[in-house]
Amino acid sequence: MSVDTAAPGAATSRPGSAPLLDVREVTRHFTVSGTRIDVLHDCTFQVERGEVVAIVGQSGSGKSTLLNLLGLLDRPSGGTYTFDGVDTTRLGEGPRSRLRGEGVGFVFQQFHLLERRTALANVGVPMVLGGVPLLRRRARARALLEAVGLEHRLHSQPHQLSGGEQQRVALARALSREPALILADEPTGALDAASSTMIMEQLLEQARIRDAAVVVVTHDPKVAARADRVVELVEGRTR
Amino acid sequence: MLRSLTAGIVLAFAGSRANVARTILSCAGIVVGVGALIMVVTASDFGQRFATAYSEANAGRPATLQVSVFGQITDRAAFEEDLVRAGGQDVSVYHTPSGAPQIRSGGSVVPDVQFLGVDPSLGDIRRMNMAEGRWLTEADTGSLAPVMVVNQPLADALGDLTQVQVGTDQWLDVRVVGVLESSALDLGWYSAYLLRSPASEDLLFGSSSDTGGEEGDPFAMPGSQTTYQVRIDPQDPAAQDPWGEVFTGRLASASWRWGIEDPESISAYRADYAEEVDRIIDYMSWGLMGIAVITLATGLLGVLNVGLVTVRERRRELATYRALGASRSTLFVAVVMEAVVVSLVAGVIALAGCWAAVVAGGMVLERFVPLPDGVPLNIPASGVLVGLGSAALVGLLAGIIPATRALRASVVAGLRE
Ligand SMILES: Nc1ncnc2c1ncn2[C@@H]1O[C@H](COP(=O)(O)OP(=O)(O)OP(=O)(O)O)[C@@H](O)[C@H]1O
Ligand SMILES: [Mg+2]
Repeated sequence: MSVDTAAPGAATSRPGSAPLLDVREVTRHFTVSGTRIDVLHDCTFQVERGEVVAIVGQSGSGKSTLLNLLGLLDRPSGGTYTFDGVDTTRLGEGPRSRLRGEGVGFVFQQFHLLERRTALANVGVPMVLGGVPLLRRRARARALLEAVGLEHRLHSQPHQLSGGEQQRVALARALSREPALILADEPTGALDAASSTMIMEQLLEQARIRDAAVVVVTHDPKVAARADRVVELVEGRTR
Repeated sequence: MLRSLTAGIVLAFAGSRANVARTILSCAGIVVGVGALIMVVTASDFGQRFATAYSEANAGRPATLQVSVFGQITDRAAFEEDLVRAGGQDVSVYHTPSGAPQIRSGGSVVPDVQFLGVDPSLGDIRRMNMAEGRWLTEADTGSLAPVMVVNQPLADALGDLTQVQVGTDQWLDVRVVGVLESSALDLGWYSAYLLRSPASEDLLFGSSSDTGGEEGDPFAMPGSQTTYQVRIDPQDPAAQDPWGEVFTGRLASASWRWGIEDPESISAYRADYAEEVDRIIDYMSWGLMGIAVITLATGLLGVLNVGLVTVRERRRELATYRALGASRSTLFVAVVMEAVVVSLVAGVIALAGCWAAVVAGGMVLERFVPLPDGVPLNIPASGVLVGLGSAALVGLLAGIIPATRALRASVVAGLRE
């Protein structure tokens, strides 16, 4: 396993340009019935464009909490988080949603597909939110599903698909607006070994084609091995 | 802003399509409420059109006054001049001959016929729907034979209309130029409208005038009574005067010209009643509308309840939308629009149901009474508008609370569910 061994230039970072993600001294604490729980103490790291970063750490170390911050689903209690040159800590609700829709694609452990909607419709949702017209939306959704090998399951609903297939639909959905960042929280956690390998192959392949950065939370050493760089969370601090 | 609106609407439609069962379930109350509203609007619209048609055909267009003078009028022409001067726009004599003429075609006499001496202008005062022929004209006054229009029942009773005769003590050939359509408005009496002309002068005002109405109207005063129908401007103060004193006052100022000294012997009352019936129907429909609105409010609670439950159930789905880039306002629109879509679907179902009921009702009604011309039984545009409008409004109201709830939920918490 290679920890922090990214060879210089291995990532597709453009020389001189700012990193895609710049996380500085980010903290996050929760207050549960009057007691303060410090989850993230001091997280500082950067992610370059097109870079693949794995986040590892013990259960409860705050990996998901960090990923939620990176995905603009949550706000840090302190520190700054700059996404693509934009200081997100100062951003209002509307612009954050827009930035999230345009810039971030999510792949969840639990897939989070919309029930009773076909694969095509699911992949189309981010494009609906982005105002892509119907016909272009359909065509793109179809192309994306073909790219992940689901051309024969376009009209299937989530409950008619296997876990691996569902996660591929979720991957196609995450890619649908060509985000600069793909966040995956244990994307293979609910899958068997064969499906896991396939999903990771496709995730990394599609991200590479699109020059998208990937931040993946994982317990799986094989997954971490494929990252350009590994960030380890220990008691709420990055290492 | 616009994008989040359109995105919200697209999501709402997809959402309602994906949850048909939920949609139908929450519809029921609204279908009943909206249906009741549409039916009330339809019934009151039909009632008012029917009342208007009835009043216009039987009593006169607004505003028609029936003017009576008790006593001998010495100069009819001067009296008629004064009726116009007092505000009459159309003036027609409206005279029941005291001699009780009889009518026959061929051999047999048709009994119990109501004769009325009228002018062609009565056709401007009332709505005359002709089944055959035409109404009386000015040119008919030159006819050597008396000219007449009869109603459908009388025409049926007479049979051959080419050899009709009328008479008190000797038979006189009359020309029947038209038959009035019978409809639900017709009470089935035999009526004959005899044109006032030199040829009918004797029949109408003739010999028996001095016998003094012992046969005809039991309330008639001794001597003779003269009755006219006069249409005045509905905006004229005389039209709104319940006792007719305004109009009789105007006439009385020069009544000596036509031989009447006592102003008390002139009366005028409003003959058409469409406005009054309209008002009564209005009151009734407001009452019924209230009941319908209460029903609709119950339906609203149903949709609201389903909406609240589903927002709780759908926290994961809504959080997923947020993760995919939906802003709070987009989700607000989506959730509200979903309720509106559901309600509108219910409204359309209610409309279809009402339409079927009205068509069926119309067919049944048609079997018993022919509906008058221009008074078809149908759902008026206002009924469609009120129905769909109230459905949309209910949807909006029922959507806002669940939508506000949906916004409050945290995305991270929603995704963990
Ligand atoms: N909303 C919250 N309120 C209170 N405590 C929270 C909240 N979210 C997370 N935590 C706590 O923060 C800590 C980190 O949680 P997190 O889900 O980030 O861990 P993780 O590293 O993803 O673990 P796992 O590998 O099991 O998924 C946990 O102790 C958790 O109880
Ligand atoms: Mg986790």
